[in-house]
Amino acid sequence: MSKSEEYDVLVIGGGISGVEASLNLANQGHKVLVVEKDLSVGGKMIHLSKVFPTLDCSACITTPKVSEAARHSNITIYTYSQVNDIDKKAEHDFRASITKFPRYVDEESCTGCQVCEDKCPVVVQDQYQYDLVGRKAAYVPFSIANPRIAAIDIENCSLCGACERACPADCIDFTQEKQDIEIKVKSVIVATGFKLFDPTLIPRYGFGLFKNVVTSMQMERQLVPTRPFNNVLRPKDGKMPDNIAYVLCAGSRDETVGNPICSQVCCMYSIKQAQLLLGALPMADVTIYYLNIRSFGKGFNEFYQQAKDMGVTFVKGKIGKVEELEGGDLKLRYEDIEQGVVKEANHDMVVLSVGILANDGVTSLFKQNLELDQFNYVNQKDLLANPAQTNIGGVYVAGTASGPMDIPDSILSAGAASSETAGYLRGGNHEK
Amino acid sequence: MGKTIDIIKKKREVPQEVKDNIKAFTKIKKQILKTLETEPKSVPQIAKEIDLAQDIVTYHLMTLQKFGSVEVDDIDDMDEYYLYKLKK
Ligand SMILES: Cc1cc2nc3c(=O)[nH]c(=O)nc-3n(C[C@H](O)[C@H](O)[C@H](O)COP(=O)(O)OP(=O)(O)OC[C@H]3O[C@@H](n4cnc5c(N)ncnc54)[C@H](O)[C@@H]3O)c2cc1C
Ligand code: SF4
Repeated sequence: MSKSEEYDVLVIGGGISGVEASLNLANQGHKVLVVEKDLSVGGKMIHLSKVFPTLDCSACITTPKVSEAARHSNITIYTYSQVNDIDKKAEHDFRASITKFPRYVDEESCTGCQVCEDKCPVVVQDQYQYDLVGRKAAYVPFSIANPRIAAIDIENCSLCGACERACPADCIDFTQEKQDIEIKVKSVIVATGFKLFDPTLIPRYGFGLFKNVVTSMQMERQLVPTRPFNNVLRPKDGKMPDNIAYVLCAGSRDETVGNPICSQVCCMYSIKQAQLLLGALPMADVTIYYLNIRSFGKGFNEFYQQAKDMGVTFVKGKIGKVEELEGGDLKLRYEDIEQGVVKEANHDMVVLSVGILANDGVTSLFKQNLELDQFNYVNQKDLLANPAQTNIGGVYVAGTASGPMDIPDSILSAGAASSETAGYLRGGNHEK
Repeated sequence: MGKTIDIIKKKREVPQEVKDNIKAFTKIKKQILKTLETEPKSVPQIAKEIDLAQDIVTYHLMTLQKFGSVEVDDIDDMDEYYLYKLKK
């Protein structure tokens, strides 16, 4: 059975860009529907530790924003949902079909008490801790999730029924089915964000094989208060690392993996993590292997200098290979670019500063064929005058869906998307 | 009130992998908790005692810590490995 609904704007993706654009439009009185494929809104930002260059706590900025959006009377949010297709019938008339997948938990009555989680016998890798630790099949995704309610991972559920018997609010409901919704909107914002480079595509770095080689996102999780372990530890043997290496440009500026462009944030987030590591592990040495440091934003060069002053070592070097030594330490072979010689160095943990890639599947949603640029990001047709405008009139792009960028630029981009959308809704001249 | 689990059970099979996974986790959980009955231990000590790869012990031990059956004790004399104990 399918129902139909009407809104002014459909925002696809509930990361920081989608949430920001939604709030701007909702505050101007427009009715907004946010469709988020994950169990929670907040995107990548809600999982970050502190943010460069201010070192503000990421969750402290994201959480109030997502709660404001969730409570806003002009915003409706469908999490764990997908947009199947969008058809532009005429200016200000888009029809879309959406599917809401079942959580097997009644969204209204779940209190997020986690009793179900406690009773659930199944443990699988926790995707929100980037697989460093386990989670249950009945679970509240993470402590600051929005909505902070449980879901049943039906693929991994043993159908024991323990959650349903234990739930004090009686809200587990295995009869839930997916729900199809037809919507009519006047305009669309694409805010589908980015995906992370898969480091197993560069086997010489040893990710997956050597457990003390981790991604920057795994290190990001190790640095938050809701971390997977009790401190920053090596996943192989639980040792506190004291000699950590960063490999920058892992999967960026690299033709061989099909991503020749700079990911824009890896230099800076690595410099940030290095500083945070020196705070968490005062005895540790941190070495950053880089090709070029890109610290072009406001306050970024000072932030880089600050890391040097704190004792972070910077080596202009291209990593050839990572090998595992007995005991789990890692040997890095690298070309010292300044001296033009091949060198080796041992570290006890290696962090791959993985790059940012365009998310697939956005263009196929649109019957009118949404154009992508040569790197598969949504094409900005009129970059200088109307940076959020796509090739389809009434469809705008916000944040990293249009290219790699940091949070301040994502917020600015969301601002542009919301004001261009508002102009279009007023019948402005963005309709071509 | 009737339980909805009985309705879904008629429609869905539990994959063998899910059943195997529960057994494997429960087995390692028991082994780890048993090693901690005597005194607090580190990951390498537990791994050696139950003859299991260290990374598997780390993953399971940290999961047990997350769900509250294990907690951190002191750090060893070299300031390298934490010791973990059963949570009372
Ligand atoms: C390790 C790491 C550390 C970082 N640290 C910093 C930092 O310190 N400071 C800083 O400024 N920046 C940092 N960044 C960059 C920052 O994460 C991004 O700038 C920001 O998250 C971009 O937000 P977004 O909303 O554009 O994209 P995302 O965060 O990717 O959000 C996109 C959302 O859209 C959803 N979505 C995707 N496809 C669909 C679909 N088809 N339908 C419905 N929903 C969909 C996703 O589930 C997600 O919720 C870091 C990045 C990484 C990888
Ligand atoms: S589903 Fe029930 S038991 Fe689980 S968190 Fe929600 S209210 Fe608590």
